[in-house]
Amino acid sequence: MPYPILDPTGTTTTATRPRPPRAPRRRDLRGATVGLLVNTKQNAAPFLDELGRLLVAEHGATATMARTKVNFAAPAPGELIKEMTTSCDVIITGIGDCGSCSASAVADGIAFEAAGLPAAAICSDAFRVTADAMAEIRGVPGYRYATTPHPVAVLNPDQVKQRAAQVLDDVMNLLTEPE
Amino acid sequence: MTRPTPDPEEAQAAIEYCYAQGWSDGLPLVPASQPLIERFLATTSKDPAEIIGELEQVGRNCTVYLAAVNAAMAGCLPEYFPVVLAAFDALMHERAARGGGWQSTSGPAPMIVVNGPVRHELGFNTHGGAFGPGFRPNATIPRAIGLIIRNAFGIRPHVLEQATQGLPGRWSICLAENEEESPWPPFAEDGGQPAGASAVSATLLRTCEFVDNRHTQDPEHVLNDIADTISRTGSLIFRDTSAGVVFCPEHAQTLATAGLTKQDVQAWLIEHCGRTGADLRRAGKNGLRGIARFADADTSADDTFTRILPSPRHVPIVVAGARNAAISMVVRIFGEWSGTATEVTK
Repeated sequence: MPYPILDPTGTTTTATRPRPPRAPRRRDLRGATVGLLVNTKQNAAPFLDELGRLLVAEHGATATMARTKVNFAAPAPGELIKEMTTSCDVIITGIGDCGSCSASAVADGIAFEAAGLPAAAICSDAFRVTADAMAEIRGVPGYRYATTPHPVAVLNPDQVKQRAAQVLDDVMNLLTEPE
Repeated sequence: MTRPTPDPEEAQAAIEYCYAQGWSDGLPLVPASQPLIERFLATTSKDPAEIIGELEQVGRNCTVYLAAVNAAMAGCLPEYFPVVLAAFDALMHERAARGGGWQSTSGPAPMIVVNGPVRHELGFNTHGGAFGPGFRPNATIPRAIGLIIRNAFGIRPHVLEQATQGLPGRWSICLAENEEESPWPPFAEDGGQPAGASAVSATLLRTCEFVDNRHTQDPEHVLNDIADTISRTGSLIFRDTSAGVVFCPEHAQTLATAGLTKQDVQAWLIEHCGRTGADLRRAGKNGLRGIARFADADTSADDTFTRILPSPRHVPIVVAGARNAAISMVVRIFGEWSGTATEVTK
């Protein structure tokens, strides 16, 4: 009787995650407080600040609230998600610009959706595969996020503003379009 | 009566089966069977179901059983398994290994250091060619770690693993310290283990860089040469850095003969490793935003010497290799070493 070859992954015994809920969409951002979850990667803060400014100036949002994720490599801690969910109406998280932080930005977007807030994660386009893989792990295959061309870290302040303006429509769609 | 030679066609089919499942790091695997895994599990008192490592962000963990399957597939002998478990435990003390390190664009490699009697009991290479290859325990134990990361944690190249270039020897660095020719206490003692203990230390590396300095008896020549390598700007991305030295026996003995302890060498390197503001500015790394370096046009610190090693723990010192030439290795640490070693237990 031959022996079977053993599986080194352990995944056969792991149940698949149920798909977490997606937050209901707003029709627009008028009167909304926009939460900016900055992951400390180079240029993440000015990129998200500019996006917040544009959402206030052009789309009627009333305020922004920026918070910084201390560990860019890991998904945001539960308390931070809770604090931002209590104080904000929509979330922008990024910039996913490395192996772990792009995956984490997507994980954060999915966590905010499950907590009831529309969220737009932003990744550099060099990290699509790893961002998609994380979405699948979190039970949301095909999760939609915004991308900006790689590289981001080398951009000067004016270039960062241009990039933020370029991604604005995609971010608006992610926050307001029904699935 | 000799046993018949195993059927190579069957062996090849089993190896190809493992490739087809996506389990391999690129090299052939030893197909693991239940009787083989039972021999691995018999070497430890740990429960096969015990979780020995977890990667929360990807929702995966590693049990003693999964570690045994991966170690067997890597080519380990069952008696190596307590060292695999100790190496994995030591690695899980590293912040980067518990966090995003395996996913990083820098593609870091574990460096495993083995001390104590277990080196000879299991036939580790303890002298020439310390960084390999050629010796089964030194080659297969780090490979087992790599397979655990790939299979149990699910971190695969081009998907959750995003190494830009990675580094040579990613799953093959396992040094058995040359305690017999080292003038200093074993590395495991720096990690809190008692003298004479069989113990394993581990950290993550970004690269290894040789320092060949074989025509001097002056310890300062050797130390200055090593400091120059540690201080190269290309490796600096944060305010502080961490770089260990794997001294060859000859360099270690030159320093010890001059009266230097390991702590003296660490203190010397902390004092002398660094760059001037002008050097950093030319490389676009003179400014600090938080702890990250960036280009700043400000020239006012051009003449200031900036030190880069914050503490002795950021300069771990190991002695490895043969006594046949004065060639040491700077090992560039990813993040920082936890400063702990794990005892090898049965």
